[in-house]
Amino acid sequence: MKRKILVLLLTLIIFCAHGFSCGPKQKIVTAGDEGTIERRVYEVFGMDCPGCHGGLEKLVEKNQSVLKAEANWEKKQLVVHVRPGAQLSDEDIYDAIVRANFTPGNRIQ
Amino acid sequence: MKKLILGICIAQLFLSSHVDAAGISVDAGLTPPEDRWILRTQMRFMQRKDHMNQKMKMYHYPVILAYGLRSNTTLMIRQALVQQKMTMALSEFSDWGFGDLFILGKYKLYRRNTESYTFGMSATLGLEFPTGNDPFTSSTWDATGGFYTSYRRGAWALDANVAYVWNGLMRKHNDTRDPGDELSFDWAIAHQISMGDHARAALAPVLELSYKNYASDDAHGSDVPNTGESIFFLAPGLKCTLSSIILEGLLWVPLWQDQIGTQMEREVGFLIGTRYMF
Repeated sequence: MKRKILVLLLTLIIFCAHGFSCGPKQKIVTAGDEGTIERRVYEVFGMDCPGCHGGLEKLVEKNQSVLKAEANWEKKQLVVHVRPGAQLSDEDIYDAIVRANFTPGNRIQ
Repeated sequence: MKKLILGICIAQLFLSSHVDAAGISVDAGLTPPEDRWILRTQMRFMQRKDHMNQKMKMYHYPVILAYGLRSNTTLMIRQALVQQKMTMALSEFSDWGFGDLFILGKYKLYRRNTESYTFGMSATLGLEFPTGNDPFTSSTWDATGGFYTSYRRGAWALDANVAYVWNGLMRKHNDTRDPGDELSFDWAIAHQISMGDHARAALAPVLELSYKNYASDDAHGSDVPNTGESIFFLAPGLKCTLSSIILEGLLWVPLWQDQIGTQMEREVGFLIGTRYMF
């Protein structure tokens, strides 16, 4: 009987420990995901027509760290939404801008 | 005399299957981004008429697929469905079929993007294969070379292009006739009017001036009579961009033309087309 109680207690401890270890961590990650979407704004030169934005957005969004890219030819700007926790250098964005046949300007934001 | 004119008209029906104007030439000097696909479909209508009110109408339905292989290199492939109609006093001839397969490479020579302007230069090299249906195939391998410049400042775009077609580089059959080469100059001006709040749509009126010179065909070292001509076209048009879709229309108005020998004169033609970028 004692042995059965001990096994039950151990199972309960392991279950609780697992619950505590996973539960709060998941919650923190989710909360962090929503709170840490980084928004970057870059100047782009050479993008002079409404049809130009698509090619640039496609190249930038190929990067796994990019959640969404939005280019605006009138403002000469590219807005990049970075995935939470992802590593993305400005050089990666500049490289995509060059491969789209445009010229990167300053990072505004 | 009437038989001669009839013969010339029928000969023209079977020999004039070349696509004369390349379409809206705005931005031809700027190469598309890497990994960009562009699908173009067009309907081109050209017609000729003579003083006896005999008409030749020609419809081209080319489909062009372009791909940005690298940021400086674009590959294009074109195939066209062609329909020709010939109307004479008492009779009408009509025929249709596929034109020749055309493959073209475009290379970025220079591109400068600044805050106030964009300037680009590119060169093309293409080859047309005699793969079409008779009578729309040229039965020769033809090479094309072009040089394109584009300049944009604000809402304005200026273009100047030159292209040369070496017809009859190689022959499919042991034909004695060598089609004449083609030289063309195009100048274009466009003004872009933005529509909507999100900068995803624009309307651009376009005005083009084109000069085309077709050398006479050659047979046994001498010019074939009644072949070869020079034309100046004025072409007003409209380009409407809706995000990744472009709708375009162009009207070709012959301003001046000079045909060698007895040939039908060119009349007003038009182009309507779509471009889908993905």
